[in-house]
Amino acid sequence: MSSSSPHALTARWKKFLAAGVVAMAVLWYFACAGVAHHENRQALSILVGSLFWISVLIGMLMLTMITRVFDAGWAPIVRRNWELLIIALPVVIVLGVAPLAFSTSFRHALWDWTDAAHVLPSGHAVGHDPILQAKSWFLNEKFFLIRISLYVLVFGVLVTLLRRWSFAQDTDRTAGHTHRLHAVSAVGIPLSAVTLTMLAFDCLMALSYHWFSTMYGVWFFALSIRLALAVTVILTYKLSNGGWLDGLLNQAHRHVLGCLMLAFTVFWAYISFSQYFLIYTANIPEETFWYNIREFDPATGLKNQWWGVSMYMIFGFFLLPFLSLLFYRTKIVAGRLLTVAWIILIGGIVDLWFNALPRQVYDKSAPEGFVVTPFLTSSLVLDLLAIAGFGAIVIALFLRSASKQETIPVHDPRILESINYHE
Amino acid sequence: MNERNERIHGVACTFRKVSDVFHAAEKVRDAGWKNWDVHTPFPIHGMDQAMGMPRSPVPRLTLLGGVTGFITGCLLTWYTNSYDYPLIVGGKPYWSVIFPFPVLYECTILFAAFGTFFGQFIFNRLPRHNHPLFELPNFSRVSDDTFMIVLEARDPQFHLDESRNFLQSLGGQEITVIRD
Repeated sequence: MSSSSPHALTARWKKFLAAGVVAMAVLWYFACAGVAHHENRQALSILVGSLFWISVLIGMLMLTMITRVFDAGWAPIVRRNWELLIIALPVVIVLGVAPLAFSTSFRHALWDWTDAAHVLPSGHAVGHDPILQAKSWFLNEKFFLIRISLYVLVFGVLVTLLRRWSFAQDTDRTAGHTHRLHAVSAVGIPLSAVTLTMLAFDCLMALSYHWFSTMYGVWFFALSIRLALAVTVILTYKLSNGGWLDGLLNQAHRHVLGCLMLAFTVFWAYISFSQYFLIYTANIPEETFWYNIREFDPATGLKNQWWGVSMYMIFGFFLLPFLSLLFYRTKIVAGRLLTVAWIILIGGIVDLWFNALPRQVYDKSAPEGFVVTPFLTSSLVLDLLAIAGFGAIVIALFLRSASKQETIPVHDPRILESINYHE
Repeated sequence: MNERNERIHGVACTFRKVSDVFHAAEKVRDAGWKNWDVHTPFPIHGMDQAMGMPRSPVPRLTLLGGVTGFITGCLLTWYTNSYDYPLIVGGKPYWSVIFPFPVLYECTILFAAFGTFFGQFIFNRLPRHNHPLFELPNFSRVSDDTFMIVLEARDPQFHLDESRNFLQSLGGQEITVIRD
C-alpha cells in the first residue's frame, strides 16, 4: 500500500495536467499564428517537443519488452515505472504529431512533399519533382495519414496489453500473466522496431524528402533508449528520495542502468557515425547535401552554426558521457550518474534539433538558390516550452496511473530478486 | 624428511555451510588480513564485499591498451597513406580522422583486448603450473561440497599457532597446515 509521502506525490497530477494544457494552448497559438504568416518554425517546436517524449516513451516501451523477454531479475521495481509512464506514448502522438499531420496547413508547412505547389531550390515545384514521383508509393498523403494512425494504434494496443496483465498480477497473483507478457513482448519487439522506424522516417527523415538513410530507424532507436535510460535514472533518483522507491533503489540498480547507458552511448555513436561515414565515403550528392547544410554555408563555404552543433554532438553527446561512464564509480555514485543522465538528456534534445531544424529555404537572391535556416533563433525557447509542456502531460498521466495502481509490482515472480539485486 | 626445513604456505580450514564461510570471511577481513583467499564450489554473491576485495586493476590496463591502439592506428594510417606513399583514394584527404576511422577503432579494440587479456595474466600471476594447495588431499572437495578459507604465510599477521586458533574460533572444521 502507498505510504503518505508517495500519496502526496501522486495527488499532484492535476497540477501537472493544468500546466501541460496551458503550455499546449500557448504552443498551438504560436504555431497557428506562424502558419498564418507562412512560417513553420513554431510548428516545428511542437514536432520537436512531442518527438522528444515520443522518443523517451518508445525507449521505455522497448526496455519494458526487452526486460520481459530476457526475464531480467533486476528489472521489476524499475519496470513498473516504465509501465506507469508508457500510457503517455499514444497520447503524445495524438496531441503532437497527429494534429500537425492531419491539418492540411500544418502538413504543407512542415512536410514540403505534401504541398505540390511548394517551390524547390532548383526552381521547380514539388509536384513536378521526379524524385518525389519515384517515392510516391510511400510518400503520398493518404498512406502518410494511415501510417500516423497506425502508430497510435500499434503503440496503443501494445501499451494497453503490457500494462493490463502486469497490473492484473498485483491483485490476482497469477504467474500466468508473466508468461502472457513474455508472448506479448516477443511479438511486440519486432512490431515496435518496424513502427518506430516508420515513425522516424515520417516525422524526421521526410522533413527533407530528397534525403534517405536506411539506418535512420536504428539511429532513432538508439537515441530513444539513451533518452529513456536518462529519464529513468533521473526519475528513479527522485522516487528514491521521498517517493515509492525510497530505500529500495540500491547501488546495483544504478550500476545496471549505468552499464546500459554506456552501452547505448556507444551504440548511438556507432550508428550515427556509420551513417555519416557511409555517406561521406560514397559521396553521392542526393545524400551528402544533408550533411553539407549541417556544416557550411552553401554560398560562402564557411562553417555555419550547425557545424558547432555537430561538434557538440561528438564531444558533448558522445565523448563526455562515454568517458565518464567508463569509470565504475560514475555508475554507482548517485550524484555522478544523475549528472551524466542530464548530459545525455540535453544532448538528446540537441540531436533532435540537429535532425529536425536545418532546412533549405528557397531564396532566389542566394547564389545556390537557397539559404539554410540558422540554429540560434528565439524559437529555441518555444522548443523548450514544448518539451516542458508535453513533459507535464506525461508526468500527469504517470502520477495518475501511480495513484490507481501499485507502484511496486508486489506479486511479480521476480520481485524479491529485484529488490535484493546485487552486482 | 625433515618437515621443519620446509616452508609453510599457510593454514587451510574447511566449512560446510555457505553462511559459515561467509561470516568467517567477514571476520578475517575485519581482523585486517591481506593475503588470504576463499575457495568455493560455486560463486557466492556478496563474497567480494565480505572479503573486502578492492576493484580489479585490470580495467586500467584495458584503457591504456585502448589509447595505445588508437594512437597506433593513427600513426599506421598517417605513415602509410600520407607520409611514406601519399595516395589519393576516392577524393579524400591524405589523412583525416574520418576515413581511417574503422582502422582506428579496430586497433583500439584489439589493443584494449590485449591489455585486458595480458593484464589479467599479470595480475593473476599466470601462467603458473602448480600450487601448494593442490597437494592438499581434500582440496578437490572445494569443487564439490566444501568451502575453504586459506590464510597465507606471507601475510604479516601470520603466526602458525595463532592463525590456527583464529580459524578454530571462526568455526572451521578441518584445519590443515599447507607446506610448499
